[in-house]
Amino acid sequence: MTTTRSRPEIAPPSGTGAGTPDAADGERTRWTSPFRTLRGRATVAFTVVTTVLCSVLAVAVWFAVSQFLLVQRERVTTIQAADNAAQVQRALGTEGLTVPQVLAQLPRETGSVSLYVDDGEWVTTSLRIGRDDVPDELADRVLGGTPARQRIQVQGETVMAVGIPLDGLDEAYVEVFPLDELDNTYRVLGTVLTISIVGLVPLLLTVGWWVTGPALRPLNRIAAAAESIAEGHLSTRIDPGRDPSLIPIASSFNRTAAALEARVRADARFAADVSHELRSPLTAMLGALDLVEVTAHDLPPEGREGLAVLRSEVLRFERLVADLLEISRADAGNADLVVEEVRLAALVQESLTRRRLAGRETAAPHVETDASEVVIHADKRRLERVLGNLMDNADKHGGGLTGVTVARGDETACVLVDDAGPGVPEEERQRIFDRFARGSGSIRTRTEGSGLGLALVARHVQAMGGSVTVGPSPSGGSRFCVELPLRPGP
Amino acid sequence: MGRLPDVARSVLIIEDDPRIRRILQMTLQREGLDVVEAESGEAGLERLGERDFDVVLLDLMLPGKDGFEVCREVRRSSNVPIIMVTARADSHDVVAGLEAGADDYVSKPFVAKVLSARIRALARRTRAPEPRVRIAVADLEIAPREGTVTRDGEPVSLTRTEFRLLCELAEEPGRVLSREELLERVWGYDYFGDSRLVDVHVRRLRKKVEQDPSQPTVVTTVRGMGYRIPA
Repeated sequence: MTTTRSRPEIAPPSGTGAGTPDAADGERTRWTSPFRTLRGRATVAFTVVTTVLCSVLAVAVWFAVSQFLLVQRERVTTIQAADNAAQVQRALGTEGLTVPQVLAQLPRETGSVSLYVDDGEWVTTSLRIGRDDVPDELADRVLGGTPARQRIQVQGETVMAVGIPLDGLDEAYVEVFPLDELDNTYRVLGTVLTISIVGLVPLLLTVGWWVTGPALRPLNRIAAAAESIAEGHLSTRIDPGRDPSLIPIASSFNRTAAALEARVRADARFAADVSHELRSPLTAMLGALDLVEVTAHDLPPEGREGLAVLRSEVLRFERLVADLLEISRADAGNADLVVEEVRLAALVQESLTRRRLAGRETAAPHVETDASEVVIHADKRRLERVLGNLMDNADKHGGGLTGVTVARGDETACVLVDDAGPGVPEEERQRIFDRFARGSGSIRTRTEGSGLGLALVARHVQAMGGSVTVGPSPSGGSRFCVELPLRPGP
Repeated sequence: MGRLPDVARSVLIIEDDPRIRRILQMTLQREGLDVVEAESGEAGLERLGERDFDVVLLDLMLPGKDGFEVCREVRRSSNVPIIMVTARADSHDVVAGLEAGADDYVSKPFVAKVLSARIRALARRTRAPEPRVRIAVADLEIAPREGTVTRDGEPVSLTRTEFRLLCELAEEPGRVLSREELLERVWGYDYFGDSRLVDVHVRRLRKKVEQDPSQPTVVTTVRGMGYRIPA
């Protein structure tokens, strides 16, 4: 039998928790989208701002580079065209070659086309580009004696036409240069920039997440401190360290926490003091009762009955004072929590033995096979109190104890206490752990309990890092489930 | 071991509340105990100087010299069993009282019968004769009948409870005695004992019998189980 997945047949009660009232809600809402957290939002904001800035920068770079390349290209083509024009002039003047021959001899870069015009007569080196492709505007300016340059569209491609006037009237040389290489450069540059920016986003998100962690650590510390106070560690304070921005918030947090702690401790101390003051008279009363009872046989029957009432009430009062003192001590903090290794099954057995010795009927404990050796870290005294109170509760309110089970989960060990009572109605499963909560069902019995038993159970279990819940027992009555962590708490 | 009926055990009650003192006196007297009262720590110390008692019942909250101080002062000259009476069952008070030298405690409100049972348990065991004559443990020699412990011939001063604790552990060397067993054997609790009694007494005992109390070798702790004297 494996010990990993356990508690197959032992259903924990489906009631509401007392130790951790929001446990069920917490389970449901534990996963929040990272974008809803402060850290997530900060990361996203950081990413968006940086991406926008980078995009602006990229566009600027693209414009600057393309502008620079264009200017560069214009200069090169102009020089080239001017050189070629000079050579055409020279060749036609001296060597007596025909125009096509001269043009054919010109050094030209791949894809460029030379055109020569004299007195309206156009000669071209390519069938692709002829007179019709040279805009009139350019032709007019060049023929008017001014060198000119223009980007034009030829068969869907952008080319650069550079016109240089020659010496003769109406004589000019025009060279058309391809710009496709430049276009390619633009395209590559644009693509590289776009890809860089798109690739930057995940990188920025990662870096942002990584950087905001330490940056938001002070906030996490405040959150952790608040959490710790909520869990009852009232003496938690924030150490602002050397971060000046944290000092104001830390000191106001600490002031609030100190005020809360003082208030809670004062309340608890008051209850404790009251209980202490009640102890001496109680001792005297109990002693006096003992003395009177020795001579009880001399009393008339009514006197004896009165004495019996007096005794049971004094005893009830005594328990009330003891429980009140204990709960006020629990409220005052966990200072006296003595955590040690406890063998749960053995402790349950001891508690049951005590009951038997005290003359109370007792169910035999059922120990899950993998739970017999389980050792937990707990305060033994408190745990004994928890078990004792739950068993007493079963006696007083639950029609008797029907079973005690020790089981083991993955990270918790639990003790299940079953009774034969009418069960606890759904709406009271939370309230039952409050102080002086009494069952409000039809059988509203006046019992000898202090009304603090289950409240103490909840306090003690919570102090030990566990939780206690109540739900229906498979055998009919109620089932109280005390879950305690296998590992020691922080 | 039977009671010793012919010896009326004497109890000194140090308690400032006259009503409680009176009731205690009446109750304990009815139980066959010889009761002497003292209304303050100073008066109590005076009584103790005048005669021997079997048990001292000491309230911790006293005007003037408080119970802890009285306890320490008594321990300077006497091994008489002390039961302290606390109104505060806070762990701090109980442990501090035990550290000051008390043997046991009851917390208010207590039932007189419980108190007289505690007194009897202490009185009985401090008078019980021991079966064996000499027990050697480490460099110690225990003489149960005489109630003495010596190291190299030099007497080691133990209170009666410390002595009983040492004897119980020494009688079965190597065996681990749980706190519950020790509570039963030394303090006479059948159940509901406070294991802090054992822990504090072991600590006190170690201070007296160990060469280095922080590295105990005579009385060792077996984690989660109890204490033992290694065989």
